[in-house]
Parts: sequence; C-alpha cells; structure tokens
Amino acid sequence: MLGFGSFKAQDCSGPTRRSFIKTAAAVPFTVGSTHQVLQAAQAAQQEGRVKSVIVLWLWGGPSHIDTFDPKPDAPMEYRGPFGTIPTKTSGMHFTELLPKMASRSDKFTVIRSMVTTNGGHPGAGTVGLTGYEENAGPIQPNFGAIVAKDRGSTEALPPFFYVGRGIPRDLPRRIEGYGGGTLGKAYDPFLVRADERGHVSIPQLDLLEGITPKRIQNRKALLNQLDNARRQLDSAGIEQWNRTHQSAYGLLADAEARQAFDLTQESDKTRGRYGQTTFGQGCLLARRLAEARVPYIQVNWSEYVETFSPNCDFGWDTHIFNFELLQDRHCPILDRAYSALIDDLQDRGMLDETLLIAMGEFGRTPRISNRAAREHHQHCYFSIWAGGGIEPGRCIGESDPRAEHPITRPITPLQVGTTIAELCGIGAKRRAELKVLDGGSLIHELV
Amino acid sequence: MNWFKLQTLAGLLLIIHSANLPVAADEIKLTHDGNIKRDPLFIHEGKTLVYSYDQREDLIRAVQIPMDDLSSAPEPLFGEERSHQTEIAFSPDGRYVSFDQCTGNLTGKLVIRDLESEKEVSISHSGRGAYRTPTFTPDGQRVIYAFAEKGPMQLWSVNLEGKDKQQVTEIEGMTHWPGFTPDGKRLVFSNSREHNYEIYIRDTDGSNETRLTNNRLMDIRPRVSPDGKRICFVSTRDGNYEVYVMNLDGSRVVRVTNNSERDDYPNWHPNSQQLVYVSERDGQMDLYLVDVPPAESAPEVHTR
Repeated sequence: MLGFGSFKAQDCSGPTRRSFIKTAAAVPFTVGSTHQVLQAAQAAQQEGRVKSVIVLWLWGGPSHIDTFDPKPDAPMEYRGPFGTIPTKTSGMHFTELLPKMASRSDKFTVIRSMVTTNGGHPGAGTVGLTGYEENAGPIQPNFGAIVAKDRGSTEALPPFFYVGRGIPRDLPRRIEGYGGGTLGKAYDPFLVRADERGHVSIPQLDLLEGITPKRIQNRKALLNQLDNARRQLDSAGIEQWNRTHQSAYGLLADAEARQAFDLTQESDKTRGRYGQTTFGQGCLLARRLAEARVPYIQVNWSEYVETFSPNCDFGWDTHIFNFELLQDRHCPILDRAYSALIDDLQDRGMLDETLLIAMGEFGRTPRISNRAAREHHQHCYFSIWAGGGIEPGRCIGESDPRAEHPITRPITPLQVGTTIAELCGIGAKRRAELKVLDGGSLIHELV
Repeated sequence: MNWFKLQTLAGLLLIIHSANLPVAADEIKLTHDGNIKRDPLFIHEGKTLVYSYDQREDLIRAVQIPMDDLSSAPEPLFGEERSHQTEIAFSPDGRYVSFDQCTGNLTGKLVIRDLESEKEVSISHSGRGAYRTPTFTPDGQRVIYAFAEKGPMQLWSVNLEGKDKQQVTEIEGMTHWPGFTPDGKRLVFSNSREHNYEIYIRDTDGSNETRLTNNRLMDIRPRVSPDGKRICFVSTRDGNYEVYVMNLDGSRVVRVTNNSERDDYPNWHPNSQQLVYVSERDGQMDLYLVDVPPAESAPEVHTR
C-alpha cells in the first residue's frame, strides 16, 4: 500500500483516478521523457563505482562499548553487563547483542576510531551528516545532497531520499545539516516513510490535503483550492514546491518509479527477514530505492533522539535504560535489519555497486553513569562500511582499553563525507567545483 | 515406484509439512498482530493475559485480553494514553498493580496503584534513574524493584504506600529481575558482576547466596514457578535468545524453545506446567503458550 499524503492508493494496479487527479492536477506538466533522463543519469553514474549509497543513520548516539567495540577486560564501572562473542573477522568481538551481524562480519568493515567535534545532538548531527559545525558559516550540504547535485535527478525519482518519520531532531529542535545547505533547498531530501507493516507514505504531500475529486470537477473551486495549497507551499520555498510536485507527478506517472515504493511486491519471507519494525521495513524500502538507482538514501533510525519518552520514537540517546533498551529493543532490531539488508544486497548482486554505511553522531561515555547508563561521548565511536568495492572483513582503527579515545589515527565525519563522495566518483576537482567538503581527506583504507 | 520409495516419499512430505507448521503441537499462538511485545503475565487465575506492546511507533501500552476470547481486541489496562507502561506486576490478591511508567523525557517512575481505591503512589529516589522490574513479595505487603541511585542497578523495596524504602542488595554490577519463592524465604535475581548476567538465589536476609548459572553469555529474567519448584529464564548460550527452565538449585536445565529467532520474556501460567513467552518468527513478535517438559523426563542439555 502506498499513501500519498494521508491518502492511500493501491499501487499494485496503479494509482486510482482519485489519487492521480489529486496530484497531477496540482503540478505543472513539465516533466520530460523519463527514459531519456534515466539514460543520462545512468551514464553519469558510470563515473563512480558506487551507484547508490544507503546510510543507516543511528540517531541519538549508539553506545560503541556495548555493541561493536566491547572491552570485557575494562574495570566493572566501564565494561557493562554484556558478554562478548567472536565474529568472522579475526580478533574482532562484538557484544552478545549482535549475533547476526557477528556472523556476517566478513561482509563489512568496522571503524572503531571515529571522533567528532560536537557533543550535542543537533550539532553533532549536522557534523555527522555534513562534516562541518553548524556555526562555522553557512550550513553545508548533507553528503546526500552533494551526491544528488552531482548525479542529477531522474525526475521519476528524487535523487536523495530520507526514509523515516521526519527530519532528525531532539525535543528542542531539528538538526540544521539535514539537506541541501549551500547547494539549495532543491537538494533537500525527499521524505518517505514505511511503517512497521510496510505501508509506505509521503508526508510532504499532506500539504495538498483538501483537494478532492469532487472539487476537481468544479474548475473554480479547484483553482481556489490550488491557490490555497500554493500559498501553503510557498512558505516552504518555491523550489521545494516545484520539486515536491514534480517528484509526486513522477512517482504517479512512472510505473517503474512507483514500484520502488511497493513493499507488497516483496514476499512475506523477505519482509519478515527485515522484521516488523519501522526501521526494518525502512531498510527494505531503501534496498528497493537502491534497486531503482536512487543515488542516495538515508534511513533514519528515528526522528527523535530521545530513547524512552512518549511520542518520541526510541532513538539511541540512552541516558537511562542504556543496557535494558539495547538488550530488549535497539540491538535486536538493528541486528536483524542490517543483516537482512546486507544479505539481500549480496543475494541480488547489488552489494558491489551499493555503499552501505551505518553510523550515529557520536558514541557514549564508557564510564557508566550514576543512572546506570551512558552519556554523550564524541571522543570515540564507530561506523560500519560495506559494499561499494570496499574490502570487507576488517577492523580499522583501535580504541584504548576503556574505549575512551582512539589510539590510532582518528577518523572524522568530514573524512566520511569525502570518502563517500570519492567512491561515488565525485573526485577532488568536482568537489572543488561544487565548493563542498573543503579540506576533507580520504579514509585511505576504504578507497 | 515401489512401496518403499512411496513410504519414503510420504515420510519426507510429512517431515516437510511438519516443518512448515507455524507452531509446534504443544504450543498455542495467543496473539497474531506481530507487533513488538514484552512482559506477558497471567492474572485472574490464568483467565486474563496482560502484556505491553507497541501501540504506536512511539508508545508502549499495557493491555489485557481474556484467554477464552483471544480473538478479541486487546483492552488497555490503564486509562492513560500518553505514557509508556511496561513490566506490569500484580499483588497476589490482585488488588495492587505496580509498573514502570514514563510520561516524559528522563521522567520514568515506578507506580504502585490500589485498584480498589484507585489511589496510586510513585516511588521517590534522588536522581533521575530508571526504575525496573517491580515485583510484589509473596505476602503482598511490599514491592521490590531495581533502581540505580549511585551507579549500578541495585534492588530496593518499599511498602504499598511507597514508603519505608530499604536497599535490598549492594553488589557490584547490574542487578535486575527480582523474584521470590512462594514461601517468601528465597530471592532470585540476575547480576552482572561476573562479566555477564548470571542468575543467583539467596535468602531474603542476604545470606546463603548461590550462583545458579555459569556460562559466558547472559542468563536473564528468572521467574520462580508458582509451585516453587523451578525457575524459567532466558539465555543466549545457544546462539540467540531462548527460554530455559531449571530446578531451584540450578540443576536439570531444560531448553524449552528452539527457534532460529528470538524467544524472550517467559512467565509462568498459574498451573506451573506452561509458560507464556514472546517469540519472534518471520520478523513478527507474538505471544505463545508452551507446555514445559517435566524436569525428570527432559534431557539435561546443559549443566548451569
């Protein structure tokens, strides 16, 4: 089931007359030949070995010491309550919370020496997704916006997707570095969400609520309604208005594009492998978008960082219940969804041309807090890299015996973004042309 | 095709068919929505099943369903619609209920509610720590729970008015999941001081502690059977979350579940012969009721 705004249209048999008229009537008919555009986009993509990037954004700051960088020999007040298990990578252990990923570690590479410059969520989120601090000047583009700008749009499908409930935020505010930044709002992500049952919806089109078939039959009423909708959308910026509607039109008019959203085309077995969770089904949707050659897909674990607050969707910010939630909820969901995704990409022959990265904005304090949990820790955390031709089965970087600091060369979010761009064929010259990722260096072990 | 081959083929088909059955013969699937669930327990002498589940992607709610009408929609256990409600516990006489409630960011609290007077109290500790795993003493006069006030999770107890707070344990590591033998003389819990969660039993005065499990992976959520003879628990010792049962002295460990996915949150039926637990199968989490093999007839698959 695919929903446009709050309206659900059966997409197995194409959009209903109602949903098609609702959106098509509201857009300028300026879309060219989808086939020609697709050909051009595919030609451009051949420059880099990576066709699509999927970022699993583990929002809230997952504990590194309780997951991918355990320290079983650290003092009691550091090591936590979990046992460790061997992985398929020689000498590398995970905690017992991640058995599926441990048995697949020969398919990915773990970096244990990540550091960032900001210890607060929105700020660190911007650093993690753009490479730069929010207050360092104009907000820089999300790595996905850079890839989107370089690749261009197929018009049938936007080049940069957010899969999730909304723009990542904490209770006070959302992050600044979520979208186009200096490249413009045209390169903001296109938001799509899949619920735990695989129902897909496009919240951005909620702005068109009220344009009903009955009103469309009355030309005068329709024009009034469109004016109202236009005024609403103007507040979000005209570029965004155009792109939203062009994208919506493309989604409705192009059968192939439409199918990218249709999780009902997956077998129950496949959907089940990802798990009946929003993150699991979001990962499945990301695989389908990558299959449809969308250049950049960011799957947001949650909209809110808050881990156990009503109306917040269980982020990784485990100031309380760190050990309990990792054990009961977060790690089982991640373990299952990540494993299903990497298996699926490999089984379909997509892993070499898809770059899969899992990371958050920082780690958590290795010393256990007075609340028997862990606080923010920007001085050491992890990222996990797979596909894109990267040699798998390695552990890059090392932290100290208490997982407080790297004892090898620290790796920064700016290096993450630069490496993503490089693997996508956006070399130093092109980055300079786009005026992005200035000063960034590569993670040489990955390229 | 001769008779032997036909017999073999029929046998193979039977095996394949059996393998595809959704539940084993000694199991009953109690729910079918597949949503994330946790903390099941029976009340009303086994006539009602209570559990918490993801009502929305941002809300965990406690619900109940009658065992004689499992197809009915789960009814909210409490009226509050804007709080997470987990780890429900009822007093032996059913008059009081205690649970973890979270109404806002970092504002978890432990509630003790008198269902007759509809009055409730919240436990008060310094700091904004996390309350976990409340349970009533067998005489129904106190609630014991886990809380981190100055570091690791310890066990505490209060009376039904939420007063007379007493620290029950002072052990290194995390301490969770308290439970009592029916006579109230022995306390069972998990603690992580030996590098991972192990299950311990001690007298309620803190003496005579015995470690019941001993392996390098977690042994959690111990619950003593109503007849006081056995303990069910969860362990990852065989590769993923599975449900086990052992005698009160740690002997005769029996693996009850054997699924490739997660089996967790076991709790006893009042008959002490069955367990309700959460099982994840094909990515969907539902509740199952399973018969527990008798200790004397079941093979002992692990020592501790």
